[in-house]
Amino acid sequence: MYRFLRFPILLVGLFLAVSSFAANNPQPALTTEDALGPQVVQPIEFPHNRHAGLRNPADPTNSDPLKGGMEINCQYCHTYARRSAVAGIPPLQKCIGCHQSIESVRNKPRIVELFKYWDAKKAVPWKKVHDLPDFVRFNHERHIKRFVEQQDRPVQEACGYCHGDVKEMTVARRQKPLSMGWCATCHEKDHPVVAEGGTPIAGQAYWYSFQKPVAQDKSAVVKAKGPNDCWQCHK
Amino acid sequence: MIDSGFDRRDFLKVLGWSGAAVALSGCGNTSIEDGKETVVSYVEANDYMIPGIGVYFNSTCAQCDAGCSINGRVREGRVLKLEGNPDSAINKGKLCALGQAGVQHHYNPDRVREPLLRNGSKGETITWEKAYALIAEKLSGVQGEEIAFLSGGVSGHLKALLGNYLESLGTKNHFVYEAVAPGVTRAANVKAYGVDMPRYRFDKAQVVLSFGADFLGSWVSPVHFSQQYAQFRKGVNGQRGVLIQVESKMTLTGANADRWLAVKPGTEGVLALGIINALGMATGDVAELVKGYDKARVSHETGVSPGQIDKIAALLKLRSPSLVLAGSAAEGYAHGSQNAAAINLLNQVLGNVGKTIEAPVSVPFPQMAPSKGNTAALKLLNDGLAAGKYKVLFNFAANPVFTAPGAFKFKDHLSKAGFKVAFAHYLDETALQADLVLPLDSALEDWGTQVPEYMTEGAQINIQQPLMERLHANTRGMGDILLNLIKQKKADEYKGFEDYYAYLRGAMLQNKGALGGGGTDDDTFWNTTLTQGIVKLAGTAGALSAHVGAAGLTLPAHAAADEQYPLHLIPGVTANLRDGRHTNQPWLQESPDPLTTIVWDSWVEVHPKKATELGIVEGDIVEVTSKTGSVKAQVYLFPGIHPEAISIPVGRGHDAMGRYARGYGVNPFQIMDAVFERETGELAMHETRVNIKKTGQRVLVVKDEGSAGALQMGRKIAARVSTDQVDLSKEV
Repeated sequence: MYRFLRFPILLVGLFLAVSSFAANNPQPALTTEDALGPQVVQPIEFPHNRHAGLRNPADPTNSDPLKGGMEINCQYCHTYARRSAVAGIPPLQKCIGCHQSIESVRNKPRIVELFKYWDAKKAVPWKKVHDLPDFVRFNHERHIKRFVEQQDRPVQEACGYCHGDVKEMTVARRQKPLSMGWCATCHEKDHPVVAEGGTPIAGQAYWYSFQKPVAQDKSAVVKAKGPNDCWQCHK
Repeated sequence: MIDSGFDRRDFLKVLGWSGAAVALSGCGNTSIEDGKETVVSYVEANDYMIPGIGVYFNSTCAQCDAGCSINGRVREGRVLKLEGNPDSAINKGKLCALGQAGVQHHYNPDRVREPLLRNGSKGETITWEKAYALIAEKLSGVQGEEIAFLSGGVSGHLKALLGNYLESLGTKNHFVYEAVAPGVTRAANVKAYGVDMPRYRFDKAQVVLSFGADFLGSWVSPVHFSQQYAQFRKGVNGQRGVLIQVESKMTLTGANADRWLAVKPGTEGVLALGIINALGMATGDVAELVKGYDKARVSHETGVSPGQIDKIAALLKLRSPSLVLAGSAAEGYAHGSQNAAAINLLNQVLGNVGKTIEAPVSVPFPQMAPSKGNTAALKLLNDGLAAGKYKVLFNFAANPVFTAPGAFKFKDHLSKAGFKVAFAHYLDETALQADLVLPLDSALEDWGTQVPEYMTEGAQINIQQPLMERLHANTRGMGDILLNLIKQKKADEYKGFEDYYAYLRGAMLQNKGALGGGGTDDDTFWNTTLTQGIVKLAGTAGALSAHVGAAGLTLPAHAAADEQYPLHLIPGVTANLRDGRHTNQPWLQESPDPLTTIVWDSWVEVHPKKATELGIVEGDIVEVTSKTGSVKAQVYLFPGIHPEAISIPVGRGHDAMGRYARGYGVNPFQIMDAVFERETGELAMHETRVNIKKTGQRVLVVKDEGSAGALQMGRKIAARVSTDQVDLSKEV
């Protein structure tokens, strides 16, 4: 009886759909022209280079802040990355823990600002630099376990796969697209799943033994692809 | 009923196409917020606080008084999910839907956030200092008997503190009011067993005969009873327990019963005496009493066939021990005490007392035992208010403007109180009438102790502790407010306690030995207590006094039907909404009623036969009129109700409280007559008589069940056959 309603309802649906698309355009650019994330202004311009940068060999006492870093391990501050799916932000307590004993920089404007937050017992309102859609569940812990703990890669290298060369930055800026296609470029590659010499790495080798064929190079290092099940990230 | 040619197949086609179109247009819309969203870190973090990893704290559910212990998952400082604490003997790790919705009480957008002082019809935000000063000012020069404090059930240290405060004010007017409480059953139990709530052992019973006790849904301690019920169903020695439910309106428990018997409203006691008669086990004055209750008479009065009475009697004789319960349906009449007494008598005749009905244990601190009360207390207050006796009225954890029967005219009488202070979570109907509204912390932000009325194995004191920081800066815990108020009177005595936490800790540590912490140092004891969330005590077991006696038991003769109001109104107490204090939690509105599957609205249950007689179909809006008032609601045809009764669920029909409560459904309390139980003076909730009239309007009933009343649209999805066509003796 109401069969004639079908087409009008379809049209209304299409109209709503198209108009919602139009209303959402233009969208903010996710990636800037140079393929980086947007420049983010932070409440305190945190110098990653000073903390994680390489030491200046000519300056063994590390006295000149402009010329060298402190080579602090990423995980010293970003301590949650190896413990949880989300990396979190270091608590303010962590900054103060060191800086309350570093008198030499105590009167620098950024540190003064930092202590203002501490004295007021207020969290610093950092802006998010790396964000993923809510339907993606990237697991930091898993990646650190694999690359840092099991394969003993340098921390900065492992973090750098996604976060870029942070030791060269002041305020962090997104370096990679962090799109699914980009993730897949890595997960599709053959990676060593045993340590050099063929020693299986914990449960990794077991998991990869299900993946055939397993590539093997001259040094007898077994290689396989990263996990590629949808549910690994889309839970 | 909507009858359109737009069938399911067409609907799916259209849905598919429009869905696809929306999905396409949605491409490119992501939730990525680089550089815009703020990520707030901790200022200081404990070692166990890791973003993305939950930590669990034990506390106590405050959604009802059963006292289930909860275990809340907290992540990034926010409580996300509540489950039961496995260490509690009451709920053993389980939690009902009402308890699960506790997070929605905490995060509710309609919570009161600031102290509000009446200015005309508006509430003006004031500071706490000003609020306390105002209370002190209003109390000065006021006699003790001119002050009244109305509260819901309170227990634990809060009760002790409240008692001390009222004492300091020189008032004895503490009215404890729970709208839905087994007040009459308690009184009848005291007579029959010497205690107001014995311990029921469903797990030991082989037959449970329940006269309207909805122990799986909303009666006393449903989570605990559900677990005992599971054991009862598994059975002793492999023999599965049999549940027989006798009531005029099917409850959740009735729907689970092996045999469900509809009795004429109010004749539960007659049936109980009839069963005693049929058993033939009674002696002495009991035998004398039940002599007149032969099957023909009982069957005529109750509407239960003689065959059924024989079957029940045979089953009760065959299987022992059994358990007979008197629930809200039996007690809700003017002769409710007599009904309950007759039912308790049946227990005694069957020899169940001491077997499935045991002496309860109680906490060895009587000042912490829960205060109980029902509508009799409210009536007393209402009379006092009507006489203009009270200059200052406090209200805590009760919403009488919503739950008082319409015949009380409570709202009008309330306006005669001089200065009304409401301690409130929401601006509910009662808080809206107050002059000063003080916002309370949610149960997940507050400190406290709770002593459940119904204890199980051993006694326990439940600990309530904050699972997270206050959501709103200006709410306060009830304990903190009381402490501040009592300091106005007894500053010296209470100056050592900075806040309620300090009071609570101090009080617990003072009794460390009695609480099982003898020999440990204070911090260890306190931390263990908070970690466990429960203090288990040996408790003191009382003794049941089982004196079989029929003295004073007289059931009224069957009343003639009222011409003008021929139907009984049965207020339905649902497992989710109870008395309606949590209606503003949308999960509870959204979860379908277990029997009718209706959501977000009230309904009038009418028996299909009665409906045919009156020319009513499902979805008709009818006007339900009593002597007191009338409400309009949609009809749901329900075979689980006696044809001489209709039922409207309570809990909905708020005209305040919040966005999820206001304007949904109707409030049957409004049309309840002021008929009281003769012995206890409690409101006889089932005594209201009504008539129903069609208004001519008709709506589509919103329910999860198929819109055509669970019809299978001609397809045999689940084949079925009616029970009268089955010979059960051949089936098993």
